[in-house]
Amino acid sequence: MSVDYARFFAVLCGGGVEFILVGGTAANVHGSARLTQVVDIVYRRSRENVARLVAALGPFDPYLRGAPPGLPFRWDAETIWRGLNFTLKTALGPVDALGEIAGGGGYDELLAHTLEIEAFGQRIRCLDLRKLIEVKRAAGRPKDLEAVAELEALLDESGG
Amino acid sequence: MVTGSSSSAWSAASECYLDGVERDPVIEEYKKHVDRTLLRENLKLTVEQRLRNLMELQKLSEELRRAGRKPR
Repeated sequence: MSVDYARFFAVLCGGGVEFILVGGTAANVHGSARLTQVVDIVYRRSRENVARLVAALGPFDPYLRGAPPGLPFRWDAETIWRGLNFTLKTALGPVDALGEIAGGGGYDELLAHTLEIEAFGQRIRCLDLRKLIEVKRAAGRPKDLEAVAELEALLDESGG
Repeated sequence: MVTGSSSSAWSAASECYLDGVERDPVIEEYKKHVDRTLLRENLKLTVEQRLRNLMELQKLSEELRRAGRKPR
């Protein structure tokens, strides 16, 4: 399933959710040519923001991606507060709602390493290219080698 | 400055530094195979155009996957 970015950003921004775009979609924002099927966000871990996230995504049937049908899962503030990182399928497309990322921490730690972008009429916080490279390296997954190489090439191409 | 985590399998081998970015020999090898023409084309686009292209690519990928599942 593809991600409807226009609706996704409208829903989150309209709902006042504090989030940072990270992962493959952030890489695409910076010019990556690689395909990602998921939108990854780091959401701010405050009670108020978790409530906003729950309210915003609630109408789009969030459910644990890859979980067997029928597995009990309640999309509510308490569930999100007790957990941290959620890989979800939603009517807007696959969404990874992350409380923290390896090598980067949570929303408050990442905020200084973001830039504001504008797309589909929304202003969105996106992880900057250097931090994106840093967290991809920190993830240390073999599949990220090519992604890091491409991001570093982008850094070269965009003048560092 | 970009620094690799000590947990990273490849950053441990990093030695040289350029423009404040840690250069890793393994990554440098991978970089030789990056198609920079695609990146240069992408950099000419707006962020929204890049995301629209990504959505088109996702749809195409989905259609191909669906087609591959159809009985022949």
